[in-house]
Amino acid sequence: MQNAEALNIDHFERPKKNYLNNGTTLKSWLLTKDHKRIAIMYLITVSLFFMTGGIYAATIRLELLTPASDLLNTNTYNKVFTAHGILMIFFFLIPAIPAVLGNFFLPIMIGAKDLALPRINLLSLYIYWLAGGFAIWALLQGGVDTGWTFYVPYSTTFSNTYVLAVGLAVFINGFSSILTGLNFIVTVHTMRAPGMTWFRLPLFVWSHYAVSLVMVLGTPVIAITVLLLALERFAHIGIFDPAIGGDPILFQHMFWFYSHPAVYIMILPGMGVVSELIPNFARKKIFGYEFVAFSSIAIAVFGFLVWGHHLFVSGQSIYAGMVFSFLTMVVAVPSAIKMFNWTATLYKGSISYETPMLYGLGFMGLFFIGGMTGLILGALGLDVHLTDTYFVVAHFHYVMVGGQVIAYLGGLHYWWPKMTGKMYSEFWGRISAMLVFVGFNLTFFPQFILGFMGMPRRYAAYPPEFQVLNIFSTAGASVLGIGLVMPVLYLGHSLLYGRNAGDNPWMLPGLEWRTSSPPPTENFETTPIVTWEAYDFGEDSGLDFEEARRRELAPVI
Amino acid sequence: MEYNSWVPLLPEQASSFAGQVDLLYFYLILVSIAFAIPIGVGIFYFMIRYRERERFASTEGIHGSIVLETTWSIIPFLVSMTIFLGGAYVFFNQYTIPKDGMEIYVVGKQWMWKIQHSTGQREINELHIPVNTTIKLTMTTEDVIHDFYVPAFRTKADIVPGRYSYLWFKPTKPGKYHLFCAEYCGLNHSGMGGWVYVMEQKDFDNWLAGNTSGQTPVEMGKDLFYNKLGCASCHAGGPAQRGAKLEGIYGKEVKLTGGGTVIADDNYIRESILTPTAKIVDGYQPIMPTFKGQVTDEQLNGLVAYIKSLSGVTGSSTTVSTTSAPAANTASNSASPAQASNANTPRRADRGSNSQGSNPKAPGPTRRP
Amino acid sequence: MANHATSYSDKFVYHEPGLQHQFEDMKQQEESVSIGMWMFLVQEIMFFGGLFTVYLVFRFRFPMAFSMGSNHLNVIMGFTNTLVLIVSSLTMALTVYFAQRNKRNWQIGMIVLTMLFGLTFLYIKYLEYHEKYVDGLVPVAGWNRKVKLPGTELSAPLPFETGAVAASEQGGEEEKPYNNPRGEFQWREGSKLVSDALAEEKANPNKKVLTEYERAGYLDPTTGLVDEYRFQEKIRSFFWIYFALTGLHALHMIIGLGLMTWLLWQAFKGTFNSEYYSPVEMSGLYWHFVDIVWIFLFPLLYLLGRHLLAGG
Repeated sequence: MQNAEALNIDHFERPKKNYLNNGTTLKSWLLTKDHKRIAIMYLITVSLFFMTGGIYAATIRLELLTPASDLLNTNTYNKVFTAHGILMIFFFLIPAIPAVLGNFFLPIMIGAKDLALPRINLLSLYIYWLAGGFAIWALLQGGVDTGWTFYVPYSTTFSNTYVLAVGLAVFINGFSSILTGLNFIVTVHTMRAPGMTWFRLPLFVWSHYAVSLVMVLGTPVIAITVLLLALERFAHIGIFDPAIGGDPILFQHMFWFYSHPAVYIMILPGMGVVSELIPNFARKKIFGYEFVAFSSIAIAVFGFLVWGHHLFVSGQSIYAGMVFSFLTMVVAVPSAIKMFNWTATLYKGSISYETPMLYGLGFMGLFFIGGMTGLILGALGLDVHLTDTYFVVAHFHYVMVGGQVIAYLGGLHYWWPKMTGKMYSEFWGRISAMLVFVGFNLTFFPQFILGFMGMPRRYAAYPPEFQVLNIFSTAGASVLGIGLVMPVLYLGHSLLYGRNAGDNPWMLPGLEWRTSSPPPTENFETTPIVTWEAYDFGEDSGLDFEEARRRELAPVI
Repeated sequence: MEYNSWVPLLPEQASSFAGQVDLLYFYLILVSIAFAIPIGVGIFYFMIRYRERERFASTEGIHGSIVLETTWSIIPFLVSMTIFLGGAYVFFNQYTIPKDGMEIYVVGKQWMWKIQHSTGQREINELHIPVNTTIKLTMTTEDVIHDFYVPAFRTKADIVPGRYSYLWFKPTKPGKYHLFCAEYCGLNHSGMGGWVYVMEQKDFDNWLAGNTSGQTPVEMGKDLFYNKLGCASCHAGGPAQRGAKLEGIYGKEVKLTGGGTVIADDNYIRESILTPTAKIVDGYQPIMPTFKGQVTDEQLNGLVAYIKSLSGVTGSSTTVSTTSAPAANTASNSASPAQASNANTPRRADRGSNSQGSNPKAPGPTRRP
Repeated sequence: MANHATSYSDKFVYHEPGLQHQFEDMKQQEESVSIGMWMFLVQEIMFFGGLFTVYLVFRFRFPMAFSMGSNHLNVIMGFTNTLVLIVSSLTMALTVYFAQRNKRNWQIGMIVLTMLFGLTFLYIKYLEYHEKYVDGLVPVAGWNRKVKLPGTELSAPLPFETGAVAASEQGGEEEKPYNNPRGEFQWREGSKLVSDALAEEKANPNKKVLTEYERAGYLDPTTGLVDEYRFQEKIRSFFWIYFALTGLHALHMIIGLGLMTWLLWQAFKGTFNSEYYSPVEMSGLYWHFVDIVWIFLFPLLYLLGRHLLAGG
């Protein structure tokens, strides 16, 4: 029950014992079994990788200001875009939301003390650090220039770069993913608090359950693919390299069999975050709960069936292409269902525009464009023209950055008061959200046009008629960059100088808001007993909204 | 390449199915707008109408509607099916290779396109074709996966080593169109471009007959060096330089692998173009392909003249008697009658060496980490 | 799960030995560990599945080479290993049985037996690999038995350089004598069967004995005859897949033995009883999984294609 006193903004006190000060030695952090501490360590690492990948991105955009390959020579450019892809995909996008927000909040949202297998969770973190270390070492040695897709025979026979080292890093990183997914599945099955039935679970939990299925089933395939790639490169076993009788398309099939579900690993948690942001900031129950929950599962399942749409022009049969195109259309439908449900949730709500909500709404707009352009690429006749051009680059940045990164930022801001006990500056948060949105669109929308014009991807130098649009794109990237750096500053500032947030700064019914900020190590003082539905803003939720209104609390600045 | 405005939005529609592709694209944009409207209007209207009036307000719990859910599941599914059908129809047209047509052979190689017409005419990084004729490309690659992409024709196909890949189109509009490599293939992927020249039939016939323009030998040599033969991709300096430096070598001693030296004279230059492996410059790999069969004597003279000009030697003092074995294909219609090969290049015309790329069995290159 | 609010003050609540702090009771812990182990095994299936897929793709594209390679695998040893593993699964199941019934000595005995069978499996595997080493069938140059026949030069030409059509011209199927100064992969059986298949196709134009891939893969494009070196390369690919699959399996076996060692130590300490035996069960699950992978591996690698070469 929320105490009226506790809602008085000026008097929030930081709980004396919480997970952050429960043990202050380095050893207590590095050997912790507390999922919240593990999440914070992931947060720091993931942010470092994001920034490194971002520097590579800035380098790419600077080079592409001019048609000639003048800032970087082509060799360096090839290594730079490969590093950007590998770091962003494997070391940022795949872990970010599950390992940071999922680790922190999945147990709390289901009312548990911790994940089911805390030591496996810590092992996941160690493996991630090991893999990341390998990757950074390989990049410092000179990196790889194969593209993150490692197509053979270039990567097995022609590239003179550190393919084996980076492959090893990716292989090791896969185990981190698998163990996290495994942990989430077990936790959701066995650790729910009394009264927390499957259909009372927050949608964030549903989406993480779906994503965990994909992580456990899909990641081993990339592991074996990278292993075979390494064997082919090292020992010429003759399965991929056509010069010795192998089949390069077999590599593509195996690679994309994982890498397509991987993109759903990246987006599903983001959708889970948005499914929290929209109903909570509209103060209204989500529209169509079961449909949103099951659509996550549907995306996870169908996501395994569409990998061939990356091979439309590779020489696979026309009929295989048609099957994959059909299935690609089908997998778009659950995402559409989510969009409509989120929109309908706003109907007759009471919407406030704090930073997390701005990110949530931004996600909806940008993911819509990303999704529709995915349909464009899924249409065979168009894909023949557009594949391997900047259209594809724009599409996946819309869903990855406009989708995942924006959802991640939204979730980070939303749960920042809970994780740290401090409120960030709403003013700076809104400014940076708008800069990110504007900068992002300016960066990537011109790339759709460039793609249809025919500018291929992975080009260090391009024909001069493409320069104008490239300049727009780089200009947008600078704005985007500023918008992405700002949170580091004001969130960091809030850690030292922010005001205390209190248990429930936004008066929300979720379980995570019914414990202190930051939470105690065991998450709850006493095991919660859940009697309310998810996103219940009515009387059954057990929160005293009347009292809060009576005290007429001022909006947060 | 012609565009309509200074910020180009669409490439030329220059093939028989380009219009279909663009139509499908416009349909999809329309569909996107059609879906954006209810969602966008919904979001913006709700955002304003239902904005927070009172802090921590309560709301009506409207939880769902099977009717709405069904509607907005079925309608997107049906629409996506129309997209699928449209895409499949266009795809069928793009990828069903017709039975008849003008056959052209393409070999992709790091980092150039070698093209051969069935009449024997060879080109590098350029493709001359007549308008309104079905063109069928049979493609192979000598090394890694490439992709033959002509945006104006709205079609591309990956070229995978170890097998033949096929592409077809029917150009409908004369012009000069970009050719790109659209599958990352290593260092000079972005440099592996070229031009497709679609010409009226009579211009094409003219071109096949091999008219030469009124260039000086040095100009012709320079044109060949930079544009037509792709020498610049390895010899022009800069980071992609994989071939021996050519500036200032004429008349000087060149150090070879294995310790010997040679004076870089006209014969040496000519031999290096026709039989590159005969003498390898110290510190470089023996990877230069031979151009035997691809250059006419006239063109050879131009190249030698140009390379000499890089050392400041002007005047076309081409030595007359040192023509090596003539190119054996029809490109050399201005060829002088076969002269006795001189002692430097006693090999017979070897057309086969250029087509080594079309043998899928060709072993990989020697460089390995 | 407990149906009442529980306080978390550890000092005052009795914990069953072995209960982890995040769980309410043993039942929850056992359920969690069980689901966790099953999920782990599912991803192992996907991992091996990828390798099986590669094997099947190549086996169907190059049936002759893969059958001939498969014929060089020792079916007796493979079958013995199958029996060894099945029995070890029995002893593993018995371990769980006895743990459930609190019989410490029987548990220890059964674990020891399981480990013995596991070691037997690995030993037989070693013998098999050694056989390959002796015959020059290890697909890495330098990793085979080095033999220099008397009278041959140290810089003898590589086996495939000595004459591409030697075997098929000899008319017989005898293997060439073993001469392997550099320890390379050697296929000494020749490719007569492929030449026979080619001849058969020529005789009956409607009959297709070789697959399209085989045609492109074995034959010299200019002569249309079998190219010994290219055929050998396909056999080499078979052996690579053989070693990769069995090697990965053996690695999992070794991990299993490590698991058994830990289990033995714990059983010795008397940790397991009728209330707490889930680690035994989970280890059992892992062991059975390793067994099942072998059950698939054995017929696919050792037995497929024998009919193709019946009489050969």
